[in-house]
Amino acid sequence: MISKSWVALAALAVAGCDLAGGGEATEAQRGDGTDTIELAEFPDRPYWGDTHLHTDVSVDAFGFGVRLGAEEALKFARGDTVTATTGMEAKLDRPLDFLVISDHSDAMGATRRLYDSPRILVRDPTLRRWYDMMHESPEQSTRAVAELITAAANDEIPAALRDPERQAKATRDLWDNHLALLDRYNRPGEFTAFAGFEWTLMPDGNNLHRVVMFRDGSVKTGQVVPFPGLDTQVEQLWDYMEAYEANTGGQVLAIPHNSNLSNGIMFDLVGPDGGAMSADYARRRARYEPVVEATQIKGDSETHPFLSPNDEFAAFGVAGWELGNLPLTQKSTPDMYAGSYVRSGLLRGLTLEQQMGVNPYAFGLIGSTDSHTALATGDEDNFFGKHTGNEPRADRAMAGQNLGTRVGRFGWHYLAGGYAAAWARGNTRAEIFDAFMRREVYATTGPRMVLRLFAGFDFSADDWDGDWVRAGYTRGVPMGGDLEDSGRAPVFLISALKDPEGANLDRIQVVKGWVDANGEAQERVYDVAWSDMEGSRRSVGGAIPPVGDTVVRREATYENTIGTAELRATWRDPDYRAGQRAFYYVRALEIPTPTWVLFDAKRFGFDLPADVVEANVIQERAYSSPVWLRPRRASDAPRTMGEG
Amino acid sequence: MIRRALRDPLAHFLIAGAAIWGGLALLGEPVDPASRTIELSRERQEGIALGFERMMGRPPTDAEMDAAVERWVREEVLYREALRLGLDDGDAVVRRRLATKMDELAGAEAEIARPSDEALETWLAARPEAYRTGGMTSFEQVYFASEGAARAALGTTGPQGEAISLPASMSKASSREIAERFGQQFADALADLSPSDALQGPVESGFGWHLVRVTEREDGALPPLEDIRERVEADWRGATISERRERAYALLREAYTVEVE
Repeated sequence: MISKSWVALAALAVAGCDLAGGGEATEAQRGDGTDTIELAEFPDRPYWGDTHLHTDVSVDAFGFGVRLGAEEALKFARGDTVTATTGMEAKLDRPLDFLVISDHSDAMGATRRLYDSPRILVRDPTLRRWYDMMHESPEQSTRAVAELITAAANDEIPAALRDPERQAKATRDLWDNHLALLDRYNRPGEFTAFAGFEWTLMPDGNNLHRVVMFRDGSVKTGQVVPFPGLDTQVEQLWDYMEAYEANTGGQVLAIPHNSNLSNGIMFDLVGPDGGAMSADYARRRARYEPVVEATQIKGDSETHPFLSPNDEFAAFGVAGWELGNLPLTQKSTPDMYAGSYVRSGLLRGLTLEQQMGVNPYAFGLIGSTDSHTALATGDEDNFFGKHTGNEPRADRAMAGQNLGTRVGRFGWHYLAGGYAAAWARGNTRAEIFDAFMRREVYATTGPRMVLRLFAGFDFSADDWDGDWVRAGYTRGVPMGGDLEDSGRAPVFLISALKDPEGANLDRIQVVKGWVDANGEAQERVYDVAWSDMEGSRRSVGGAIPPVGDTVVRREATYENTIGTAELRATWRDPDYRAGQRAFYYVRALEIPTPTWVLFDAKRFGFDLPADVVEANVIQERAYSSPVWLRPRRASDAPRTMGEG
Repeated sequence: MIRRALRDPLAHFLIAGAAIWGGLALLGEPVDPASRTIELSRERQEGIALGFERMMGRPPTDAEMDAAVERWVREEVLYREALRLGLDDGDAVVRRRLATKMDELAGAEAEIARPSDEALETWLAARPEAYRTGGMTSFEQVYFASEGAARAALGTTGPQGEAISLPASMSKASSREIAERFGQQFADALADLSPSDALQGPVESGFGWHLVRVTEREDGALPPLEDIRERVEADWRGATISERRERAYALLREAYTVEVE
């Protein structure tokens, strides 16, 4: 055979005769971006990105219709114009700084392969039915994938799609090509392309998904393939991550998301087998999962009105998603919420830490899109849909979105998405990944507001007159950091700057969670600064008048005539008790603005029911990662930080 | 000569055979599907073991290795029988996968090739706009929430402005960086101001109003190749891979006549 093959190979060789040999790995292939660009002394600005984006090799995204791949996704994220699957030209008005393409590791590329197969070879009756549906029409294709997701949730995926050994072979080719592409697009100082995938564990349809994100170039990431989720346990994912780090010297982290669809098991009080959680499990979870995606298209997971009855802003992005698990095969009940939302997860972390000395849920917060269109759009006026089946068109807002099988969720329940902000000294894989590891990151529901949080013991309002960022880093800790109890109330320097292209700010709040003297978990939301504090919005008995509302519903417009450009606060915890175990995070709220649903109604000219209009004027927001206050361990020598 | 060879009907057969070989070559040493002897070389065994290790992060146990080898043999037997039956013919999946492999082979060399400086200089000269750096601006700014306050302060010496978490000055900032920090409206307005010792403005931004002193402006320029070599090379590589695929295809395609009924 070898001797007979020369013709075609000769043809290939002729085509490439101008390429001289050589084969040294480029910087991007070798590494993580260390020592590539000049770095700022301190993280001087947030870098914006999406860590959760699907392209045409994701089983569901392809089935839902997307035909754009990773290259289009990268081009779009860095600011180029691309043509969306449904034919519209699309371009971000502001490019992103980084992107993690996170296609599902299960059956990677499989729907595409199934779709491309000759029908006669599709023997499995279920697969053949899906195959026919995928070829029949976009609606039927969507329905087929909905069935596929439900089947996955119910552990009924046909064997042909689930054998990890067989799948790994198919994945290998895809992965190698993908990594080479990422290295080509990774550009230290300008745009960072991370390798990653989504691990999709979903016992009984309850969402335990994680996005896995690598710090390294293809020399290291090429030594593994994405780890499938079905039929595995989260501890096996950590085994995989641990082995990757040990074998390559690289680094990798995982990002849980859509805890709101987990029916209480994402932040469970017990271990995965239902028994008591072990300290080892807690340690590994904290080690490999430093951040959680708190907001995205499929709802906001910060908290729920049931859990936070005294928080007037708790209902954001909850409607529709609180009904049940991901495929709506199991209804949610209120007793499940505490394990499904981020704030109660953080509280449970404190409780578990008190019990066993390790906090499994000491995570930072980010937002991302989870878009399945290959387009990382996070703004209300550019929402390209959760998937290609609901790219912009007149009827998407009111269409049922129940994966085709059940009722309860509608198009308008989708949020336009979120973004992740990373405080880093420069735009490289190493800098941004490390910001994730130290939790110096925050979530927004889309707007690019600039949120700073420092915690220490000796900050005062005078710090604002000087170089307060330097003060923050040298005399305290930034968001994501740990403070050891000093016997005095912690003081926080907090600043929120509006998105330069967006809406003014209403207020900034501190959300505190702590374990009281009786061992009970408590939470409280403090308003710490708001617009016109000394004027028309003076606080009366702790109650602050609402900021107002300038949204013209029919026009999908608002005015920055209310609110303010920046809010700052020097805030000392008034409820501090020595020895308390607590976390503090900041929530910054914008003035009310219209959502994508109102933009759609204006663009396509249709009327919405009054309750839908009502629900689609929102206050977008940013959530900082928390700072944790930890009791000083008896064995520790007295610390002096902040005592001066 | 190659062109003539490609017109030869025999060549068509050879190309089809080579395509299959090409696909197999990526998996390891070439095999002859017609042979009923399956050789399990050391290299092949190592390949199987490595595949397992990549998947699981540890080497296989003996039992796992036996199972993996058994699976490989089974696949090999079925694969060869399938080729004997001509099942690859007219199969859309096999067809597409082999076509993809051919594309990959055509692009593979460009993935690792190191282009000469000359090739990159030519590339750069052909598309200077893509590499021209945007202008760099150095400026100081004083912020006011209202336009009136900014105007009133304009004539004063050393206006204090109001506190805001924006840089008081930026040095050699690109217009993209300025737009990210201050918004596009401010970046555009700043681009119209000339360097001067005097405060100018007020300039409106998404935050309010700014008095601005532009201290330095550098026009955009085309950097020398050594400064942007990696980027040029990456772009060259991306384009070259697609171009090579097209050329390889064009060369093969030329030998065929397509008749559409």
